[in-house]
Amino acid sequence: MSLKPTIGMETHVELDTESKMFCSCKVVETDEPNISLCPTCLGLPGALPVPNKKAIEYIVMLSLGANCSITKEGMFHRKNYFYPDLPKNYQISQFDFPVGVEGSLEIVIEDNLHTVAIERVHMEEDTGKSIHLGSGRIDSATSTLLDFNRSGVPLVEVVTKPIISSAKMAVAYIEELRQLVIDLGISKGKLEKGNLRFDANISVAEEGSDELGVKVEIKNMNSLKSLEKAIDYEILRQTKMVQDKESIIQETRHWDENKQVTLSMRTKEGSADYRYFSDPDLPNMVINDEFIEISQNQIKETPEKKRKTLLDTGLSLSDSNYLDKGQRWLYELYLSTVKETGDCKSTFNFLTGELQGQMRKAEISELPQWVNSEKLASLINLFENNEISFTSAKDILAKLLIEDIDPKSFASDNNLIQSSDNDEIKALVTLVINENQDIVERLENPEDKLVGFLVGQVMKSSESKVNPGSVKEVLLKELFG
Amino acid sequence: MTKDFNIDDISNLASIHLEEKEKLKLQKDLEIVLEHVDALKNIDVKDEKIDIHPLSKILDLREDESTPSLSHEDAMKNSPETKDGHFVVPPSIE
Repeated sequence: MSLKPTIGMETHVELDTESKMFCSCKVVETDEPNISLCPTCLGLPGALPVPNKKAIEYIVMLSLGANCSITKEGMFHRKNYFYPDLPKNYQISQFDFPVGVEGSLEIVIEDNLHTVAIERVHMEEDTGKSIHLGSGRIDSATSTLLDFNRSGVPLVEVVTKPIISSAKMAVAYIEELRQLVIDLGISKGKLEKGNLRFDANISVAEEGSDELGVKVEIKNMNSLKSLEKAIDYEILRQTKMVQDKESIIQETRHWDENKQVTLSMRTKEGSADYRYFSDPDLPNMVINDEFIEISQNQIKETPEKKRKTLLDTGLSLSDSNYLDKGQRWLYELYLSTVKETGDCKSTFNFLTGELQGQMRKAEISELPQWVNSEKLASLINLFENNEISFTSAKDILAKLLIEDIDPKSFASDNNLIQSSDNDEIKALVTLVINENQDIVERLENPEDKLVGFLVGQVMKSSESKVNPGSVKEVLLKELFG
Repeated sequence: MTKDFNIDDISNLASIHLEEKEKLKLQKDLEIVLEHVDALKNIDVKDEKIDIHPLSKILDLREDESTPSLSHEDAMKNSPETKDGHFVVPPSIE
């Protein structure tokens, strides 16, 4: 029996606003607990929620960015539960009228484009943070400490349809969504800070079947690496259970980073158990055309648009996606540099390979002011036109990272310009042939690996001052006519 | 049709402990409530406009500006137990 996995992702995005979702408490990033609280976010009796306009603008931007339709007449619901991380005993969320519905995101896996259908984008509030005291194991804690600073911070939940078919695809989807919220400027999008938190709903079913298997929700994956590992593990676990004729129970499991397994947390509540009902404190929320237009006008960039701009320069889909998901300065530097070099591949390779590599090695996180696209393009053109060797290009770049130099003047002042003077090359070639007669005698054809060795010898004797392409040409002519 | 609910599930979700006697009484009461709700299903509403919220008022939004909150001391004042600036509650998962 062949089984196929089906995955649906639920992602929570913390919005980057000044104040909380339903009260004016400042959103704080601090280890000092319980310092940004008021009667509303503490759930004290009589306190009333008033929604944050900026957060609604942001969720409309995100919905539009994920190609969703906007629900113009929506509302908030209460999701009831008894965990202590929200002291009201309910979370204000949205149920049957989410802000965004029926959207999609394009994702890139290697050099292929896929589409992930988005089911809904809804607004809610974040919970407080719980610290479990005791043996360190979540299920044997002796007491729980609560910090409500995060309670009430605007949170958007983005839910995909169950159509993701592998861990790799789930990771590419999260990368795309993360880039979208960063490009829209609505969230810091830092996974390590919990700005983006994701759960995966996984099931396996027989290949070709229209029905999905029993769904298991996986929580506690706080990096893309753990997301990938947890999904792969869970698919294997469920596949084995089905093959062994064991029944899978609908439950929530958490990813144990130390043991690298998923462990059962609790039997999953069904939607009915949350007893959703419309929040009587919050009347209908109307999102009119004017509001949508204002939000739309704030969208300056999306990863999809950036990718198209990069593809237009001639780059492959996977290279475009690499720059799309990388740091902003590198994306901008590539676009301005390629304009001057006109060579997408060598510009991409030099900036992402050599430049980033040297910056990492020298522990430089920001380019010095004087390193601009003009200088980098001039350097790339120098070696692409065979005026300098790649080794010299690397040396010049290293110098440029610490000193304001002009690559071209530096190359000529330091005698790095390669000679294409055939007489000079011919003299060197003759010398190398004479000194390596034993090798010359073993040569069988122009493709022989030993040709490369002889070219290397000529380069060595010239101290890399001659153009290797011209050397090979002259050498082959001398040897094979 | 909706009478087959489980009173134990409901008391569990509401975090309310019920004695056997109370369970029997509430079972009967809730069955009557559900019968009333069932009666609503017989009303023909197909030509009615959907009212998604009991209030017709439109939600007011506020600008994204922060104002000073309660002091840490005031926020913690009603808590029976605190530790290192945190509220302490019985162990709970999730």
